[in-house]
Amino acid sequence: MDLSLLPQALVSGVLAAGLYALVSVGLALAIGVIGIVNFAHGEFFMVGAFLAYQLFVSFGFDPLLSLLFVAPALFVIGAIIYLSSIRFVLKAPELNQMLLTFGVGIILQNLALLIWGGDPRTIARVPYRAIGYKIGNISIGLVPLGSFVISLILVAALYWMLARTPLGRGMRAVAQNRIGAGLVGLEVNRIYLIAFAMSALLAGMGGVMIAVIQSPTPTIGFGFTLKAFAIVVLAGLGNIRGITIAAIVVALSESLVATMVPNGDSLRNAVFFAIIFVALVARSRRAY
Amino acid sequence: MSAAPLLSVTGLSKSFGGLRAVHDVNFQVFPGEIFAIIGPNGAGKTTTLNLVSGLLAPSAGSITLAGQDLTRLPSHKRCHLGLGRAFQVVQPFPEMTVLENVLVGAQFGSANVSAAEANRRAEVALERSGLAALSDRPVEDLNLLQEKRLEIARALATKPQVLLLDEVMAGLRPAEARLAVELVRDVRNEGITVVFIEHVMPVVRDLADRVLVMDHGSELAIGTYAEVTANRMVVEAYLGKEEDEAEEGS
Amino acid sequence: MKPRINPLGRDLLLALLFFALLLFLPPLLRGAFGRASVSYLSLGINALVLATLALSWDLLARTGQLSLAHAAFTGAGAYSTAILLRMADVPLWLGIPLGGVVAALLALALGSVTLRLYGIYFAIATLAFTEVLKTVVQELPTKIAGGAPGMNVTALFRPTLAPGMERWELAFVRNQGYFWVYAALLLVAVIISIFIQRSRLKSAFTAIRTNELVAGVMGVNPARLKLLAFVLSSFVAGTLGAVEAHRLGSVSPDGAFAVSTTVLALVTPIFGGLYTTVGPILGALVLAGLEETLKRTFADGYLIGYGIVLVASILFMPRGLVGLLSGIAKRLRRPGGGQEGGMSSARAMTDEPFTAPEETP
Repeated sequence: MDLSLLPQALVSGVLAAGLYALVSVGLALAIGVIGIVNFAHGEFFMVGAFLAYQLFVSFGFDPLLSLLFVAPALFVIGAIIYLSSIRFVLKAPELNQMLLTFGVGIILQNLALLIWGGDPRTIARVPYRAIGYKIGNISIGLVPLGSFVISLILVAALYWMLARTPLGRGMRAVAQNRIGAGLVGLEVNRIYLIAFAMSALLAGMGGVMIAVIQSPTPTIGFGFTLKAFAIVVLAGLGNIRGITIAAIVVALSESLVATMVPNGDSLRNAVFFAIIFVALVARSRRAY
Repeated sequence: MSAAPLLSVTGLSKSFGGLRAVHDVNFQVFPGEIFAIIGPNGAGKTTTLNLVSGLLAPSAGSITLAGQDLTRLPSHKRCHLGLGRAFQVVQPFPEMTVLENVLVGAQFGSANVSAAEANRRAEVALERSGLAALSDRPVEDLNLLQEKRLEIARALATKPQVLLLDEVMAGLRPAEARLAVELVRDVRNEGITVVFIEHVMPVVRDLADRVLVMDHGSELAIGTYAEVTANRMVVEAYLGKEEDEAEEGS
Repeated sequence: MKPRINPLGRDLLLALLFFALLLFLPPLLRGAFGRASVSYLSLGINALVLATLALSWDLLARTGQLSLAHAAFTGAGAYSTAILLRMADVPLWLGIPLGGVVAALLALALGSVTLRLYGIYFAIATLAFTEVLKTVVQELPTKIAGGAPGMNVTALFRPTLAPGMERWELAFVRNQGYFWVYAALLLVAVIISIFIQRSRLKSAFTAIRTNELVAGVMGVNPARLKLLAFVLSSFVAGTLGAVEAHRLGSVSPDGAFAVSTTVLALVTPIFGGLYTTVGPILGALVLAGLEETLKRTFADGYLIGYGIVLVASILFMPRGLVGLLSGIAKRLRRPGGGQEGGMSSARAMTDEPFTAPEETP
């Protein structure tokens, strides 16, 4: 174990946490406001990544520019999915919701597979991709740093929206008391729709940023669904603020394992899943 | 009534994080008694019942049935030892008939029940609860009173020594409530000891041999209905919260 | 009292009859279709495999445990037999059922720690478990398990060309052998299912699934029965995986623990009708038939068909094919009556599921 790598691992972890927080906050929105655990959440992330890739390849759009296009595109996609399937299972048992979103996820994943194929795509080669800064022997890539900053801005924007805007207040009201909110005249269905579409949008933006760092494949969505879920559970359902911290914890553990443990890179997923598993089991033991 | 209590609850406490839902509750129930637990909303009555039936683990205290310590046992073992439970919000197993619902209790209520014996117990339980005519209907067809009878039938099929009932009267019209009271009396006359939570005071007055009053998670008073309703602390507890309910009976 | 045929006996008889039919099917096909029978048998094999996969998943689902770990058990079975063969020369007739046993032990372990997990938490935990298992197997010494690329495995049936035999007859004999083995395995699964459905276990499982707390209070031991379901389900799945390994001729981490296995395992019974013996089998027959078409139309993305089937089933066919058919039968018997099928989002395709205990003060 090479301790000299520790600082780098920590920094890389923190930078990655930004993206994780962004994706998780979207899931938390869906779970908290609508009450639905969206198994397909990561697929929005994946779609965002592919859209960014396609825009780059077809039109030369810089990913930063793509953000502006992908955001409304994912909003619309999320709205369509909500209207065509999700809203019918809102009152159904959790099992139905889980299976339905699972099915939606499978459809999206395979749709991407059909459209773009399964081979790893060439990463969007933007000119600034190779730029990095060095502090001591810690190197900070411009792209990871940029994603971190952008993610943080987006997450902060979401927090602000929830706290200060009428829409945000409406969402919080619905999250706390579904029936009550409807009774005081809040258009609950419209809020559900917007919340779901927003969660898709947030995930999609995350996807755009990952397209520059890592080559998008149709299967990356699933891993992010699980990561987002783990983070949301770690933070505690309904605790949107805690997500940033939980995201840092998860991202750091991953980064540490990948860097410090021999053969860590292929193990990092397994370690992550092992953490989720243990966390879930431990929590279930405590609640009795 | 014989001197030895059938069900003993000693020092029972339950905290959820910082919230003390039940604190140091003690009471005993004697064989053949109808024992009521009353108190304002949030007093901890249902929590107490949940602790006794094993749905919650106590933070402290013990529960004994016929000399057997139940405190560490899971609910199904408590059932085998003679503890039956009917729920406030009726929860029949959907997609099964009335008979099938009751059969679950009959087949599993005690260890080692043969199929024939289980059928017999189920039929007897249905008879006792007045549901024999409805035994092949899906539970979705039942009205509220029938559902409550089903709850009791299911519990009876487990051959309990003590039956725990939670607000059986809730939602029943006066005529139905009278029938439910009859049912509870019949159950006791079979030799089953009954512990029930109730808000409707006339029912408590008519049915209960002894009453436990709870407030804020603790026991306030134990005695006959007359004794506890004369108790100043009890009256204050109710007046402080539910004026109407306390006056309803008198 | 009029004498009634014991329903258990009747069901078992029907199952044996069905199996006997399957026994004679290959030679019949050969007689009728000659060379073409080889591909028909292939289709049949796919249907049998899917049916067994689906039924084994359903066994577990009956207790309310919707597992996403099914691939873990088929994979465990596959790797067990492969490793036992490689390291200890264990003959196939022993290795294959041992694969089932290993899977069952694994299920016992997983089931015990997840007893208090429900709904999506249970699903995610089982998924996580599968991924960890896959990585563990992948990281095992290459000598033992072949690492990431996996390793080759002997085939179960290796017929040799006899004089006078045509090429296709070789393929036929091979397919026939596998067909019979899979049929036998399906029969085992069906018998297990029938025994459950015709005993007090059926109502116990239903009770646990719909309301575990109430079931406990009525004397049902949820822990023991949930573990029982887990063990039975994964024994079948493990054995299936083991046979598959010997048919495909190799095992690899990505192949043995593929998520697609789990997806197939759960979509099929949901489509066909949950918590029944016939439902998963019916679903498998239809979906296996569709699979060829799906694969030809969509190539790598063929699972999209299953995704669509899943979504459509939940929205339109909550009770699966079985429910649909019995609904139609009821309406035929009672024109004008009959129940609502359709998008009953409130009426579950599963029963009211048990949600984790709400701690009410």
